[in-house]
Amino acid sequence: MHLLTPTYRKLQQSAQQFVARHIIPVAAEYDRKAEFHEFILEEAAKAGYLSMAIPKEYGGAGYDSVSQAIVLEAWGYGCAGFGTTLAATCLSVDSLLVAGTDEQKKLFFDPLVKGGIAAFALTEPGAGSDAGAGTSTAIKAGSEYVLNGTKCFISNGGYAKVYVLYAVTDPSKGLKGISAFIVERSRPGVVIGAVEHKLGIRSSNTVELLLNDVKVPESNLLGKEGDGMKIAMKTLDMARPPAGALAVGVAQRALDECIKFYRTKYGSGKIQPGQAAQFRLADMEIQIQAARQLVLHAFALRDSGLPFSKESAIAKTFCSDVAMCVTTDALNLLGSYGYSGDCVVEKLVRDAKILQIYEGTNQIQRLVIARQLLAEPDPAKSQAQKAGK
Amino acid sequence: MSYELSEEQQLIQQNAREFAQDYLGSITVQLDKSDEYPAEAIQRMAELGFLGFCLPEEFGGAAVGYFGYVLAVEELSRVSAAVASILIEHASLAAYAINRWGSATQKQEYLPALARGEKLGAFALNESGPAVGIGPDAVIATAQSGGYVLNGRKSYVGNAGVAGLYVILGCTDKAAGAKSLTAFIVPANMPGIKVGPKKGKMGLHGYPSADVVLENVVVSESQVLGGVNAGQAIAAETMAAAAIAQAAQAVGITQKAVEHGADYAKQRVQFGRPIASFQAVQSMLAEAAVNCHVARLAVYNAASLVEQGKSFEVEAAIVKLFTARFGQKALVDIVQVEAGNGYSEEVDLARLYREISGVTILEGPMEFPEKLIASNIVGGVK
Repeated sequence: MHLLTPTYRKLQQSAQQFVARHIIPVAAEYDRKAEFHEFILEEAAKAGYLSMAIPKEYGGAGYDSVSQAIVLEAWGYGCAGFGTTLAATCLSVDSLLVAGTDEQKKLFFDPLVKGGIAAFALTEPGAGSDAGAGTSTAIKAGSEYVLNGTKCFISNGGYAKVYVLYAVTDPSKGLKGISAFIVERSRPGVVIGAVEHKLGIRSSNTVELLLNDVKVPESNLLGKEGDGMKIAMKTLDMARPPAGALAVGVAQRALDECIKFYRTKYGSGKIQPGQAAQFRLADMEIQIQAARQLVLHAFALRDSGLPFSKESAIAKTFCSDVAMCVTTDALNLLGSYGYSGDCVVEKLVRDAKILQIYEGTNQIQRLVIARQLLAEPDPAKSQAQKAGK
Repeated sequence: MSYELSEEQQLIQQNAREFAQDYLGSITVQLDKSDEYPAEAIQRMAELGFLGFCLPEEFGGAAVGYFGYVLAVEELSRVSAAVASILIEHASLAAYAINRWGSATQKQEYLPALARGEKLGAFALNESGPAVGIGPDAVIATAQSGGYVLNGRKSYVGNAGVAGLYVILGCTDKAAGAKSLTAFIVPANMPGIKVGPKKGKMGLHGYPSADVVLENVVVSESQVLGGVNAGQAIAAETMAAAAIAQAAQAVGITQKAVEHGADYAKQRVQFGRPIASFQAVQSMLAEAAVNCHVARLAVYNAASLVEQGKSFEVEAAIVKLFTARFGQKALVDIVQVEAGNGYSEEVDLARLYREISGVTILEGPMEFPEKLIASNIVGGVK
C-alpha cells in the first residue's frame, strides 16, 4: 500500500464505508435493471463526492488528486457503473479547471455543488478515436452561438445539469476549428436521444445527445475559438488516472471475491488450493499493487505541476488491462460460481471491458505513449520529466 | 493426418449451418433476453436427429461419429452457443456415458428415448466442496438391500429442471471419498429429487443451470452405471469428451466474432480510412484468426481420436486449456476493435463476449487440464 497519511486513510475509510453502505447492496439490482440510480446522487452530494473535484472557493469539496483517486477506487470496488457516473462528473469539471474563467466556473460548478452531475460531450457517431472528426457545429450569430449536431455515448447525458460540449466553429481549420462550450441542460433544443444498452457499467447512463438550434451566449465559450481540441486533450490527460483508479477498484474487488471463495470453500486451511490457483492469486495481487502505484504516481505528477501526459496514458492503459486480466482470471478460478449471478465476478468481467475503451481506447493511449517516446527530446520537458521520476 | 472432411461430414456441417442460420438465427436474440429454455428449438433438433447424433443406429441414433457431431456443435455455436450447450450436456455427457458404460439392458432401456429427444440428459458431478466427495453437501450413496439411497446436493447442473434423465455421481463410501465415486442413472421423476432455483448466468441464456438436491432417493443396483466405484474414470473420460465439444463451441463463437470484427473494421472509418487498414487493428484480428484456426485443427484431431476409439483425454485437456485462453483473449480484443459498438448490447458481439467464458469454464476450473497434461508429460510423480 502507498504510504497514505492519516488524513488520506481517514478519507479512504469513509469512502469505503459509503460504498459498503450505499452502493454494494444495490449494485447488482441496478446492473440487472440497467437503471440509473438517482438516489445515490443525494447521498453522494451530501458526502461531498459529487463536488470533490471542485475547488473549495467555488463551494466544492476541493479534493486533491490523491483523495480523488482514493474515492474513485472505492467506487470502482463497489460498482464501476456508479463510479463512471462520478468520474464523468469529475471529467467535466476538469475541462473548466483547464480553461474556465471565474464566471464560467461559477456557472458550471453551482449546479454540481447543489447535487447535480455533469457530462462531457466530445464523441460523435463518426468521431470516436478520431475525436477531431466531429461535425457538430457552433455558428456565431451576434453575441450567441447556435449549436447543431449529434453527440453519442455520452456518460451521464440524460441526467446532467450542465455539459462541456465540443463543436466546430470553423470547418476550414480542421482540428483548430473546434471549440468548447458550456451548455446548460435547460437550453431549448437540447434533446436526449436513445439510451445505450451496454454490456457492463449498466447502472451508468449513456445516451445520444441531439442539438437542435441550441443557442448559448458567447460567454459560454471556453477559452478562445479553436481551443477545443487543446482543452479536450488536456482534460483527458487529467481524466485518465481517475479511470485507472476505477480499474484498480474493479480488480481489487475481483481478487477479494476469489479470496472469500477460497476461504469458504477450503474452510480452516487443512486443505489448500493447488499451486496453480495460489500463483494466480499472487499474480493478481502483484498486478493490482503495481497498478495502484501508477495511478498515484500520475496524480502526484499532476499535483506537482509537472508534465504527466505520458504517465497518465500509462496509468490508464496498465490499470484497465490489469482489471481485464484480473477479472478474467477470477472468472476462470471461480468456474460455474463465478459465471453465475450468485457472484459479482461475472459483472466485473463485463464492467472491466469498458475501461479499456472509454477515455480514449488503450490503442490510442499506446499511440500517445509511442509518439512521446519517438519525438525529438525537448530539453526543458525531459528535465522536468526526470525530476518527476 | 488429413482433415479433409468426408462427404457425409460436409453434409452434416451444411445441415447444421442451415438449421443454425435459418432457425436459431431467428430466436437467438430473444433467447438471450428471456433466458427461457428453448423447448421448440430442442424439439426441432430432435426431429432433425441432432440429439442422437453419436448414438448407434440400433438405439435410434444417427451414428454419425464424434467428428461429425463436433462439426455440428461448431456451426450451432456460431449462432447460439446456449443451444449447443444444451446439446452437449445431453449428448457428450449423459448419453455418451450411458452408451459407453451401460449394460445391454441399460442401453436398451435408456438410449432410445435419449436418441429421439423424448428425454433430455444431464450429468451431475460438481459439488460445492473443494473436490467432489469432500464437502458438506457431497452426494453419498448408502448401500441398502438391492440398491442405494442417495443424499446430498449437486451444484450448477446443466439442463437441471428440463432433463428427463440424470447421470448422478455419488460416493459409496464417505471415508474413501472420490475413490468410491459411482455413477447412477436416475430418471428425473424419481421421488426425492428436487431442482433448486434456476441460476442467473453471464451468458448462455436459455441453457438452464441449477442445483439438484437428493433426499433419500432410492435407486436399485440396476441403475449403477459401469460398476461400483468406477465413477472417477467415467467422470474423467466423459468430461474430456465434453471438453472437446466445448472447445468446438469456443471455435464457433470466436470464428463468428472474428468475422463480426472484420466486417466492422472494414466499414468503420476513422482518421480518413477504414480502421481495418491500421496495423494495431490488423494485429488483433490476425491473432484471433490464427488462434481460432489452430484451435479448430486441435479440436478436429481430438474429435477424430474419440471417433476412432483411441485415448483422447490429454488431447481434450489441451484443447480445453487452449480454447479457454485464446477464446477469452480473442473476444476481449475483438470487442476492443469495435470499441463502443462492441460494448453495446444492441450488437451481437456483446453476447458472444458473455458466452465465451461460459463454454470454457462451466465444466470445472482451469487448473485441471494443466494437471492432466503435466502428468502425461512427467508420468505418475507422487
